[in-house]
Amino acid sequence: MSYVLPTLTKKQEVDSFIRSTIDKVLVLRFGRSSDSACLLLDDVLAKTAREVSKFATVALVDTDSEEIQVYVRYFDIALIPSTIFFFNAHHMKMDSGTADHTKWVGPFQQKQDFIDVVEAIFRGAMKGKMIVNCPLPQERIPKYQLLYKDV
Amino acid sequence: ATLADSFLADLDELSDNEADIIVKDDADAGNMEEDVDGDLADLETFNYDDLDSVSKLQKSQRLEGALEKGSAMSNHGIVLEDDPEYQLIVDCNALSVDIENEIVIIHNFIQDEHCPKFPELESLLHHPIDYARVVNKIGNEMDVTIVDLKGLLPSAIIMGVSVIASTTSGKPLPEEILAKTKMVLDFVEGRMGFIAPNLSVIFHSAVAAKLMETAGGLTSLAKMPACNVQLLGAKRKNLARFSTATSHFRVGYVEQTEIFQSTPPSLRMHACRLLAAKSTLAAREPPPAKQPKPLPVPDSEPKKKRGGRRLRKMKERYAITDMRKLANRMQFGIPEESSLGDGLVEGYGMLGQAGSGKLRVSMRQSKHAAKVAKKFKEKLYGSCGATSGLTSSLACTPVQGIELSNPQAPAHQLGGGAQSTYFSETGTFSRIRRI
Repeated sequence: MSYVLPTLTKKQEVDSFIRSTIDKVLVLRFGRSSDSACLLLDDVLAKTAREVSKFATVALVDTDSEEIQVYVRYFDIALIPSTIFFFNAHHMKMDSGTADHTKWVGPFQQKQDFIDVVEAIFRGAMKGKMIVNCPLPQERIPKYQLLYKDV
Repeated sequence: ATLADSFLADLDELSDNEADIIVKDDADAGNMEEDVDGDLADLETFNYDDLDSVSKLQKSQRLEGALEKGSAMSNHGIVLEDDPEYQLIVDCNALSVDIENEIVIIHNFIQDEHCPKFPELESLLHHPIDYARVVNKIGNEMDVTIVDLKGLLPSAIIMGVSVIASTTSGKPLPEEILAKTKMVLDFVEGRMGFIAPNLSVIFHSAVAAKLMETAGGLTSLAKMPACNVQLLGAKRKNLARFSTATSHFRVGYVEQTEIFQSTPPSLRMHACRLLAAKSTLAAREPPPAKQPKPLPVPDSEPKKKRGGRRLRKMKERYAITDMRKLANRMQFGIPEESSLGDGLVEGYGMLGQAGSGKLRVSMRQSKHAAKVAKKFKEKLYGSCGATSGLTSSLACTPVQGIELSNPQAPAHQLGGGAQSTYFSETGTFSRIRRI
């Protein structure tokens, strides 16, 4: 009965996780364990990790680590927490009505929301899609504003 | 003397091997296994041959197994039987049973060896471990009275031993076995608290461990009737030369429990029975808490369709055809024909009955005309090609000779008369009224 999700601090660990989850959605939460919004999200993730364990793996990535800054820059992670989905080492995008489709920003309001999102990603991925639509209603999707710098 | 020396030499070998092996809690079990195996092999090839044939293969295999299990242990709450730790315990139990057998064998060996030296000792001390300990302690002493046996035996027996004294030669072999037995027992005791907490409360964990071992597992202990539990570990022989008034008949390991020791002698049998009964109940541990099942993979199980057009179409392909229906029915009073003879093979039933107006029931044009046509092309349209010249579309009935099919005859008259329109498959509505 472990409520602790694996926390990754090294680039090599993240790589191995991405490469080794086969036929399962890989959910990577980028954030800090001290942030309150991160804690909310982590709570939901920890409680649902076992339920979706047959088709998803959940892991936490610490954005404060130096090796991870490569990924922070690559995925353009500005707001915390950000969740990125992978399937068979492909980066899965989700259109939830926000500006950024490559990641999910913010916490989930309910456990079922998270399960629905993961299921949508799984179904889309099994059909061969690289981008899926978000099944949640707009009220439950956290909104944020992107400020473009130097553009 | 030479035999004893070679024995000792082998012991040194064994102990050298042990030193190489990592000493973990669980590895001890492995050590012990290998020792026991070694000794068993020794004793079998015994007849007083050289003991160098300790089978190293056996040792290493079983050791690997035990170490593996030990390292893979976890305390998760899975079903008890699946728990690898439990498996290990069960193995330890089996192991201890083996060790017991081993001890008996070694005991006999020691007795044989000892006979010329100290024959009476064996009749005094029946319990093999006690006997071995004493033998060990006595060692090479010429005079037994010098040796301090106080820690090992009750004083009455010491007196007996010192009275009957003679020279002996020491056999340090049993020491190893003793140590290993103790290690296994300690290990099992330690885990008793996790595996059978209820049982450990009634008895001390040591006794609970022994009970479990002799029973062969927790579930076996729970299934055993209480009268058997009472007798687990009962000593058969009584100590010779001592009064039988103090020995307890039909009391086994239960005798060693604190509860038993503290009851007055008159109530002891009653207490013993009670203890045994409650222990069987206590051994029925509840299963570990069930964790919620993870959700199934989406779209992994095909949907079960309950009805609808598509399903109906699919089912129609496997439905019973008219031909089958006719063949399944018989006319009253007329014996049915069959291809091989009366009663040998499924008969024709109403198929091709004389006077039914139809000779061969052709496949009704079902809705899957295309599929059906593909399958039964030859039957429907006749063979436009390679058929033998012996087939014909005329039928020969034995009674009326050649019968030709009447295209005008009403199709499918099964019951005749009023019934036909009711059950008719080609019938239409009899009356349509405008409301």
